[in-house]
Order: sequence, then C-alpha cells, then structure tokens
Amino acid sequence: MKRLFFILIITGFFIQASGQKYITKNGYIGFFSHTPVEDIKADNNQVASVLDISTGEIVFQVLIKSFRFEKALMEEHFNENYMESEKYPRATFTGKITNLSAVRFSSAGVYEVEVEGDLTIHGATKKVKAKGTIEVAKETIAASSKFSIDPEDYNINIPNVVRNKIAKTIEITVNMKYSTSGNQ
Amino acid sequence: MAGIITGIHFYNLRSKNLLKEKPDFTITAEELQKEFESDENASTIKFVNKIVEVTGVISSIDKGEKGALNVALKTESSLSSVICTFPGNTVTSGLMAGQTVTLRGECSGFLMDVLLNNCVLISK
Repeated sequence: MKRLFFILIITGFFIQASGQKYITKNGYIGFFSHTPVEDIKADNNQVASVLDISTGEIVFQVLIKSFRFEKALMEEHFNENYMESEKYPRATFTGKITNLSAVRFSSAGVYEVEVEGDLTIHGATKKVKAKGTIEVAKETIAASSKFSIDPEDYNINIPNVVRNKIAKTIEITVNMKYSTSGNQ
Repeated sequence: MAGIITGIHFYNLRSKNLLKEKPDFTITAEELQKEFESDENASTIKFVNKIVEVTGVISSIDKGEKGALNVALKTESSLSSVICTFPGNTVTSGLMAGQTVTLRGECSGFLMDVLLNNCVLISK
C-alpha cells in the first residue's frame, strides 16, 4: 500500500512534468553505532526519495535488506534478530522542510534546513526532527543530514548479551542527489 | 578452544564473493522485474536472499557512497528497473549505458525497482 502511494507520487511527477518534484533511486543512508567494545556501520545505496520543491514535502523509502555490513554475521543478526526484515521489509520517512522559505531553489547555493516528519522502522512510527542542508546546483539538488535515533523507540529488542556492543543511540547519515529524471 | 576460533572466524567473515558462488536463478532483467510487479509476495519468497544472475541492457549508471556503483537494467516499465549495486572494492570500469551485461547479485527485494546487492560482473 505504501509502495502504491509512493509510485503515485512518482507517477504524478511524470504526468505533471512540472519540474517541481525531484527524485532519486540511488540515495545513500548509513548508520553508525559506537561503543567501547565495537563500532558497527552499515551502508544502503538503494534509497528511493522524492523531494517536492514547491511544498517542501520529502519522502524516503528503503529496504532493510539493502543495508550492507562489513561482517556477514552482523548483517544476518540485524535482519533476523533486531529488524525482523521479513516481517518489516521497509523503513519510510514522510515529512516536510519546515523552513522552506529559507531555500532559494532558483539560485545555486547551500541552504540550512529543518525537516520534521514520521519515521517508520520495524513497524513503529515516531516523529523525528532533523537539521540538514540542501545544495542547489544547475540540474541537481543534493540533500544531506545527520541525526540520531534510539532503537528502543522502535521496539527493537537488543538482547543483554550484545547490549554492550550496540549503542543506545545510533547515528544516521543521509545523502541524496536528486534530479528531475531520477538519474544523477 | 577450536570452537572459539571457529566462532571468531565466522563472526569476522565478510560478505561472500559471488564470483565463487553458483547462482540460484538465471533470468533476464525484464523477467525478474515482471515477476515482482505481478506478485511481490511470491517473488519475495522466491528471490530474496538468493543469488540471482541477471542479464539486461544498462539504462543508467549512478555513483553511490564509498565507491559503490548502481547499475540500472532496463525493463518494459519506464518507472521500474533492476538496480544492481556493486560494492566499493569491485572493478566495474568500462560499463556504459546501452551495453548488455550479465551480473550476479543477492536479491534484497522490491522497492520501486528490484534491488540486487553485493553484485559482481559476469560478462559484458
């Protein structure tokens, strides 16, 4: 259902062809967990996202299984034990740039933005707020952000045996490069 | 003791090199996308976590983070393709749009496109 909604947004772009919606299917989201025992990081280069520059609406979708870890076993634990990716295959964010007037999409430059919206991970939805930057170039728009989330907020259970290896707060990095065609 | 060493070994094992693995499925990009489009649930059960060797025409190549490369393969749909991500350390030089390639990857599922990860190039 969510995918259908997402496709409708994309399709809407092709019908309107107004150049108001910027898309990518090759976005990046990574996360980093630091504890004295171990650092864990994962990369996902298959993020789909739409940015509507007229309304400031921004949508992200990822497959949990597309997060790649350095160690195969970490990836397996992440999918099977913590994220239950068979049951909850996707994570989504639907939100808005709240200070849209600060961004001049007609003029190349780097703008500080604030984004607010609903983040759904592991079947649980929470409001999140994050600061980020929008970089307007000739034919592309880049967006990036760093923010933190607590796995506990999304009902992700981390057993006591590995508690000291996985941070209570995970740092999320978002890097998007949008164009009107979806290709960079 | 041997158990601990074996345990550490498996724990530190990196993702497998697909050049050394046999594919579970050999299919064209068009067929693969069509299967997911027509029945996502059945295709998820069938393909996800499996090694898929896919042949298709490159529609676009996009750079990811840390040297990763996303190669999209054409399908009959203008909105949906098969996106194959090569990790940063793979040799992918000489690939270009319009080329027919065969590559092998682990299927992660379907977002707007069929997504393959940990890809290696088989032939071009």
